[in-house]
Amino acid sequence: MDFIFSVLQEAFVPEVIIFAMLGVFLGVTVGAIPGLSGDMAIALLLPFVYKLNPVPALGMLIGIYKGSMFGGAISAISFGVPGTPAAVVTMEDGYPAKKNGYPKKAMLTALYSSVTGDFFSTLLLIFLALPLASVALQFGPVEFFALYVFALLMIALLVQGGIKKGLAAAGIGLFIGCIGMDPVIGTTRLIFGISRLRGGIPLIPLLVGVFAVSELMIQFLKEWYRSRLKKIKELSGLSKESGYDPSKDIMSFKVYLSTLKATLIGSVMGTFVGALPGAGSSLAAYVSYGAARQFSSHPEQFGKGILEGVAAPEAGNSATCGASMIPLLTFGIPGSATAALIGAALIMQGINPGPLVFQENTLIMFSFFVVIFYASVMNLGFGYALIPLYAKIAMVKSRFLFPSVFLFALIGTYASRNSVTDVWILLVAGLLGALLRKGRFPLGPLVLAFIIGPGAEKALRQALLIGGGEWSVLLKSPIAIGFYAISVVSIILLIRFQKKLA
Amino acid sequence: MRIMRRRLNFMMLFVVILLLAFVSVSSFAAEYPKEKAIRFFNPYGAGGGVDISSRILASAAQPLVDQRIDVICMPGAGGQEAINFVMNQPQDGYTFLVTDYGPLITTALTEKVGYDLSDWKPVFQITEVVPTFFVKADSPIKDVNDWIAKAKAEPNVFSVGHGRYLSVPHLPLIIFEKLTGIKNKHVPTTGGSEALAFVLGGHVDIGASVPSTIGATVKAGQTRALAVCSEERVPSLPDTPTMKELGYDVVLPAWYTIFAYKDVPEDRIEFIQNKFIEALNTESAQSLAGKLNVDLTPYGSEKCQGIYNATIENLKTLLSDLTKK
Repeated sequence: MDFIFSVLQEAFVPEVIIFAMLGVFLGVTVGAIPGLSGDMAIALLLPFVYKLNPVPALGMLIGIYKGSMFGGAISAISFGVPGTPAAVVTMEDGYPAKKNGYPKKAMLTALYSSVTGDFFSTLLLIFLALPLASVALQFGPVEFFALYVFALLMIALLVQGGIKKGLAAAGIGLFIGCIGMDPVIGTTRLIFGISRLRGGIPLIPLLVGVFAVSELMIQFLKEWYRSRLKKIKELSGLSKESGYDPSKDIMSFKVYLSTLKATLIGSVMGTFVGALPGAGSSLAAYVSYGAARQFSSHPEQFGKGILEGVAAPEAGNSATCGASMIPLLTFGIPGSATAALIGAALIMQGINPGPLVFQENTLIMFSFFVVIFYASVMNLGFGYALIPLYAKIAMVKSRFLFPSVFLFALIGTYASRNSVTDVWILLVAGLLGALLRKGRFPLGPLVLAFIIGPGAEKALRQALLIGGGEWSVLLKSPIAIGFYAISVVSIILLIRFQKKLA
Repeated sequence: MRIMRRRLNFMMLFVVILLLAFVSVSSFAAEYPKEKAIRFFNPYGAGGGVDISSRILASAAQPLVDQRIDVICMPGAGGQEAINFVMNQPQDGYTFLVTDYGPLITTALTEKVGYDLSDWKPVFQITEVVPTFFVKADSPIKDVNDWIAKAKAEPNVFSVGHGRYLSVPHLPLIIFEKLTGIKNKHVPTTGGSEALAFVLGGHVDIGASVPSTIGATVKAGQTRALAVCSEERVPSLPDTPTMKELGYDVVLPAWYTIFAYKDVPEDRIEFIQNKFIEALNTESAQSLAGKLNVDLTPYGSEKCQGIYNATIENLKTLLSDLTKK
């Protein structure tokens, strides 16, 4: 009983509450700005965090993580540019939702699903960490490859009607993912003598370039073209949609319940994928989306603005907040890049994440759990308060909005790795994105293939190395067979469903 | 009265000139003003071993040097961006490189880079990171000799998860196999964490990593460390024999060392060396490092130079043998 009091005392100190609030606010803001991500904010704050006491420090970092997982949806829905990589999938239905006249419903759905997913994985973290971690450890290269194959095949699901263009975009993404070092031998490939590309193409500049800078370039060209022809017509672009009817855009508990199935699917998939070491929030969002579509009663509406398509990936990516801490706190193996940064922060505080972390730091860890819980509540509060504010930003005319986004993207890209090369990549990616937009190619598959491709290649080659070069090693695991089976079933269903449309 | 006032004026003028002279002389004397920050550039990403060790160092040293110390991560181009950046900075004694031998030496020996290895002067060492072989607690491999015996009986059966290709845990494995003639399957991973995960999950038989990654699981009894590849036993793994003890000369520890590029004045290097070694010997640095299974090795410039040269020779031999294969 005494212990519970000390924990509560530790967790509800004003210092902790303030830093947690600061973290969530920062997270939502940074998440909403394309070019800045939660990971970046955490990495930049690491030296500062060192000077704080452990519980407020961790509270702030976890607040940033949660906030940014939701924040990315704000810009994804408002103006079609994902604020964080994890929001790429949210954009698929979120942005059409906005165009169809219910942005507020979409954003509130994103918020509520985020918080639900987050809460769900936190509960699992606290009560089932050890068994879940043991299951996660069952994933070796063979199983990972099967998971990635499943994810890559689902790219076909994401593409509505333009399978050829979608797969082409995915192919480009895979190709870009191959630039850099071979995962096994370490030789450089596809860098064309540019030694700055030895480490490969970084994700954030590519993402922001392809989505935001490309749009900026197109809008700029349109403006320039118009001014050239001396046309004075006002550009409405992505600003206030005419015919917006607020009465059709009301969020209610009923709406939340209608998307609850998708939210729960996202929470479960997100927790599961988040607990896999190295999987990450984008993959979690993607897998959640695919799974929700499988089990939905209206799969044909995915990609057209259906709220389930917003709820699932948002629940999925937020579920990684709690889940990625599972392998970190049980074995010291981070479940995602963000968890790795939080692990570094723990280490800097003298807390060694791993099997003995609870024995060695009982009070701090339990207080941390309490803080994780109420940070979710804060996320809900801040999200609710900040949505109208940040969403109004989408009402700004695109010729002011996009240059601002571009500026943030430039700053954020440079701040992340102190590299000018990254900025060049941002610009080239923008060009690529602009070309693809003009050709009506979908951009989502490109980025997703870019994220998943390298992981898939590494897993395949590791599996083959372990199996001594025998391809049969890929089928030696029941988990892997399970994923392949689901993939095959999905493809069959997809083909039949396409036939139905024809 | 007027004379008094004039005298007073002169006095004041004199005092003011004296003060000005004093101030300007002292700022001339301070060749290394403390307003500028000392910067350590790290070719690895945030949160990694080098980053964390540097930050422990920076916070312990900050009160001693009384100026800002920044640790800046520049992981671009496989670490070459950080190296190139430090090379192109004015060599004023404020900008240093903090790294292990991978980006600095291994890359220079395997690819074309814009510097000579002799251009870099080690200033001091923070810690030694010792490659360690480990297995799951219930593994049938009892110890190193058992590993050798079993591998000789059936070659290419055991899989060993090590970090990246030619990384700090990988090279000792190569040396070990050369010495004993055994063959294992090498499985590259993204780093120690992944190797640990694969070992715990039973996907690979043996792992190669460093004490700070596996220390906690060893203490908890989930993994067993078979051997460490250093001259002497590692304090955080006191029950683990060295390869040398067991009769195999596999000694290739990685060091995290601060380097200055050529042209940084000798006296500045000495000043930095002394202050930072003092910082590493403080109570706070030692206890923090202890908690994290990091063993601090505050070696000075001369000792580091010897270690640096030895590592270069070692790697040259090793890598040329590899390419001959």
